[in-house]
Amino acid sequence: MSLDKITNPLHIRHWLGDMEADYIYTLGIAGEHFFKEIKENGRIMGAKCPRCNVVIVPPRMYCEKCFAKLEEWVDVGTKGTIHTFTVATIDVDGKKLKEPVIFALVKFERGCGGLIHKIGETKTKEVKIGMNVEAVFKPSFERKASINDIKYFKPTE
Amino acid sequence: MSEVAIVGVGCVGFQPILPELSYKELMYEAAVKAYEDAGVDPRKDVDVFITCAEDYLEGFSIFDEFVPDQLGAVLRPLFTVSGDGLLGLANAYMLIKTGHFDTVVLEAHSKASDLLTLMDVIAFALDPVLNRPLGGHPYYVAGMEMNRYLHDTCATVEQCAQVVVKNRKNACGNPYAAYGANMTLDQVLCSDMYFYPLKKLEISTPADGCVVMVLASEKVAEKLTDKPVWVKGVGWCTETPNLETKDWSKSVDTRLAAEMAYKTAKIHNPRKEVDLAEVNDLFAYKELQHMEALKLCACGEAGKLTEEGVTARNGELPVNPSGGLLGMGYGLEASGMEKLLEVVLQLRSEAGRRQIRDAEIGLAHAWRGIPTTTGIVAVLSNNK
Ligand SMILES: [Zn+2]
Repeated sequence: MSLDKITNPLHIRHWLGDMEADYIYTLGIAGEHFFKEIKENGRIMGAKCPRCNVVIVPPRMYCEKCFAKLEEWVDVGTKGTIHTFTVATIDVDGKKLKEPVIFALVKFERGCGGLIHKIGETKTKEVKIGMNVEAVFKPSFERKASINDIKYFKPTE
Repeated sequence: MSEVAIVGVGCVGFQPILPELSYKELMYEAAVKAYEDAGVDPRKDVDVFITCAEDYLEGFSIFDEFVPDQLGAVLRPLFTVSGDGLLGLANAYMLIKTGHFDTVVLEAHSKASDLLTLMDVIAFALDPVLNRPLGGHPYYVAGMEMNRYLHDTCATVEQCAQVVVKNRKNACGNPYAAYGANMTLDQVLCSDMYFYPLKKLEISTPADGCVVMVLASEKVAEKLTDKPVWVKGVGWCTETPNLETKDWSKSVDTRLAAEMAYKTAKIHNPRKEVDLAEVNDLFAYKELQHMEALKLCACGEAGKLTEEGVTARNGELPVNPSGGLLGMGYGLEASGMEKLLEVVLQLRSEAGRRQIRDAEIGLAHAWRGIPTTTGIVAVLSNNK
């Protein structure tokens, strides 16, 4: 019995359509602050909720737990731990990647939340939940106020 | 307040592709079956029509404008829910509960094969500033979640693989299922590791199909059919869109949706009272995680129950006797309707060789897939 049935619809008579849809996404007040600090100072910021007494990373203008307005920016450092991770072996088209990519959620000691990012400078077999990692930034002249200004997180010694 | 019943169902598919029908013809065929089953004329007997669809999945802007004709709903009250079919069920339930509407039609479909870049559309659902620039296949999110789920619950990869074996076997007995197969545990465990620890065969494959249902108030239902299936409770909940702050171990949205539905349905001990559960299994580990969120077992217990055969079709608590999404195919926004269809057929004793004896209370659950945190639960019974 075949486990994979044929799923190619292009063999059917059809009309091919596509949709052009381009957007800009403004960063907003909290996003502006977050990416400016990454670009200019290589710092990762959170926003402190006075009511919940937690620092939310990445920062937002409001607390999703209690709905308070957040106005205090806090540097959470560039070191954190891997809360969970995966090793992706295929790309968005389903094709096998030449090199597997490790994606992880990195949580910071002082923060609730964290950052989704890639893990580098390690072997896929060595990554573990709970592992200590730190952000590796691009050189400042290459930074564009993007999440990719952080190249990846790497294990700390 | 009137009780609410499902009085007619119609399904076309699910198949890997349905090349002979356009999306409109697909909906038409399923609608005709449902109206015949319920004994209603859509041009005269229906008060409101509800379709469930999401523009990007359909390939249309304002897709809701494209649905009246194939349902017999031209010049009739109609709206589209941008969400899973079970969320449409919640809307139909509320309409009838108001007392202003007696008959409501509910539709959801998948023409996944029309969408050549499904994974790009799903990737487009990630946060544009924080997540999308990282690139990658969006199901890496599922790999990350499975990893943390296994870490926290001590469920095993074998137990997850067993979900696939069970569901695809169940699907062999379901004429509406696209991917029935007799597989071994080893076949699943040896399939390609796509997003460690998530393997290729643990990921549901999209399928084409459509489900239409007719719902009615108590007084209309009892005139139309002697086999009404009563909607005893519905619940729905969304956690947070932020991957950074969501719970990576538990499905907290499903837990709260279940509590909401159980409260209305007066279910106090789901494990004992529910005779069959149709639970979202888009990825194999999700069935286990969702069973726990639905209070069908304790946290960390679902894997063991699966291994012991408790959730098999002939077990003490059958889970996904339909074959689930792993066996029936991933029907996009119709995923919850696949679940609901099985519950209705089981509670009418029309599930053929999949029939669970003396089934009286069934649960249907939906999750809107990666990267959402939306869970929807419905409790149904053949007793008013
Ligand atoms: Zn707060």
